[in-house]
Amino acid sequence: MDAIATQDLGKTYRSSLLRALPPSLDGLSLAVQENEVFGFLGRNGAGKTTTIKILSGLVRQTHGEAYIFGDSVRKRQARRHIGYLPENPYFYEYLTPRETLDFYGRLHGLGTRERTAEWDKLSDLLDLRDIASQRVREFSKGMRQRLGFAVALVGDPKVLILDEPMSGLDPLGRRSIRELILRMRDEKKTIFFSSHVLGDVEQICDRVGILVKGKLTSQGRIDELLGKQDSPVEVIVTGLAADVVAELESKALSTRVSEAGHHLTLQDVQTANEAVRVALAKGGSLVEFTQLKESLEDHFVKAQEVSP
Amino acid sequence: MRILAVAQNTFREAVRDKVLYVLLFFAASTILGSKALGWISIGQDVKIVKDISLAAVSIFGVLIAIFVGTSLVYKEIDKRTIYTIICRPMARWEFVIGKYLGMALLLAIVTVVMTLVTAAYVLSLGGSVDTTFFLAVLLIYWELLLITSLAVLMSSVTSPILGALIVFSAFVVGHATTILIDLPEHFHGTWTEFVLACVYYVIPNLSNFNIRSEAANGVEVAPAYVLWAMAYGSVYTIMLLVLASLAFEDKDV
Ligand SMILES: Nc1ncnc2c1ncn2[C@@H]1O[C@H](COP(=O)(O)OP(=O)(O)OP(=O)(O)O)[C@@H](O)[C@H]1O
Ligand SMILES: [Mg+2]
Repeated sequence: MDAIATQDLGKTYRSSLLRALPPSLDGLSLAVQENEVFGFLGRNGAGKTTTIKILSGLVRQTHGEAYIFGDSVRKRQARRHIGYLPENPYFYEYLTPRETLDFYGRLHGLGTRERTAEWDKLSDLLDLRDIASQRVREFSKGMRQRLGFAVALVGDPKVLILDEPMSGLDPLGRRSIRELILRMRDEKKTIFFSSHVLGDVEQICDRVGILVKGKLTSQGRIDELLGKQDSPVEVIVTGLAADVVAELESKALSTRVSEAGHHLTLQDVQTANEAVRVALAKGGSLVEFTQLKESLEDHFVKAQEVSP
Repeated sequence: MRILAVAQNTFREAVRDKVLYVLLFFAASTILGSKALGWISIGQDVKIVKDISLAAVSIFGVLIAIFVGTSLVYKEIDKRTIYTIICRPMARWEFVIGKYLGMALLLAIVTVVMTLVTAAYVLSLGGSVDTTFFLAVLLIYWELLLITSLAVLMSSVTSPILGALIVFSAFVVGHATTILIDLPEHFHGTWTEFVLACVYYVIPNLSNFNIRSEAANGVEVAPAYVLWAMAYGSVYTIMLLVLASLAFEDKDV
């Protein structure tokens, strides 16, 4: 069963002035499998938060359906499976992290002993111990985000829905969130997260979906989307006689010479392998072998233009 | 219990709100200052103190219900603290009822404190407090529960300022409902009469909860009347809470 599935999901917010608003989300159909890390991309205002709010039961869709492990998001049961981290998480300012987690534990119906166990586990995982008795009011952005992550994990949900979990964090903070996401994947959780930071997405996602003005324009495994299989390869070789170089150059798309050696750009992995075999047989040595794939950023920019 | 967790937290937040203490300070001043007014009618000290003090309990209770109550749900949405709460496996009505119960607990404590101050003061003046006095307090509290349910409804559909205006108007009109039907002759048979009559039947008659002069004068009130008034208030309160839950059910936050 899919962890998250949406069918033709749409949302048009009601405006206060009876003016018709354009749909913020339009015909979104996607499926996220169990134990997958899914990156949800889109520019500002594309509809990422709207989708996430529908999945978490904060906003009602005006069209279509969405399911979490087969339960409609209109139903309370669907929310048993999810942990949600909002875009900029807000908590009661007058509570400490310990009181905060205790409060959410009670909302899940956990008993006193279970709540203590939950605190022990989550405060270790998110490094909350040293700020355990400080009020949320005094927290920095990074501390809030950590607390937010802990709150999302209360009740041990199977699906994590994270709205820009890395925004506003320093490189170390982003790295620790990345590591957390991977750790949650290892614990067999499903992670659905939105982000602008394409580098982060590229590093940790199994699949991505790109949203443009409320519509999904591209969806799939990153390597598929970026056409990794048949993209060109650059090899750098040295220590070859001039005639061998000439022979290899005749097969290359382009060539160049640098201090490192002869750069040859070859059409695909297979041709590159043949060239390398020849070079090695003739006594040369291989310095570098790089597949020249389209970056996710290139693809993201291209996806913006597909919009009708 | 999810509802209790919300209620307890609502109470905890209200207790840390400065407005509460400002209002309590004014209430205590009014109660303790009531003797000054009592001097006007010498020998009537205790009666006047009781009358004014009970009025103060009612008015300041209503002010707290309005100031805190009309922002209960609104503030959670405005400050976005609600995001991480209603994404839990709980129904939205549980959240609304939890907020309401937290407020009811707060008002209970405020009422008890003000009542104890009043009773101690009356006793120190050589007076006495009887059952009717406490029944009067009970009905004041019951009225506060009704007012609060309206405030909670308002807080889930509109801003605190507009909400407070509406609740306050309802409070004023609710205490003077008869002016809605005791109209001058030339209104008879007009649409105005019809509309006002509708309002009369919709708005609860809050003077049903007012047995303060009986309490001040030591007149007995039949327990059956008190029970009837409580049932009357409960019907309105439950209706308003159902409406508040329905209004909140499909709201986008
Ligand atoms: N409550 C609302 N009422 C009306 N319109 C809204 C509301 N919330 C969002 N929108 C509109 O819906 C569209 C999508 O917004 P959304 O917040 O989902 O975008 P996003 O992809 O999360 O953007 P960002 O990357 O900036 O967070 C925007 O045009 C926004 O103006
Ligand atoms: Mg967003």
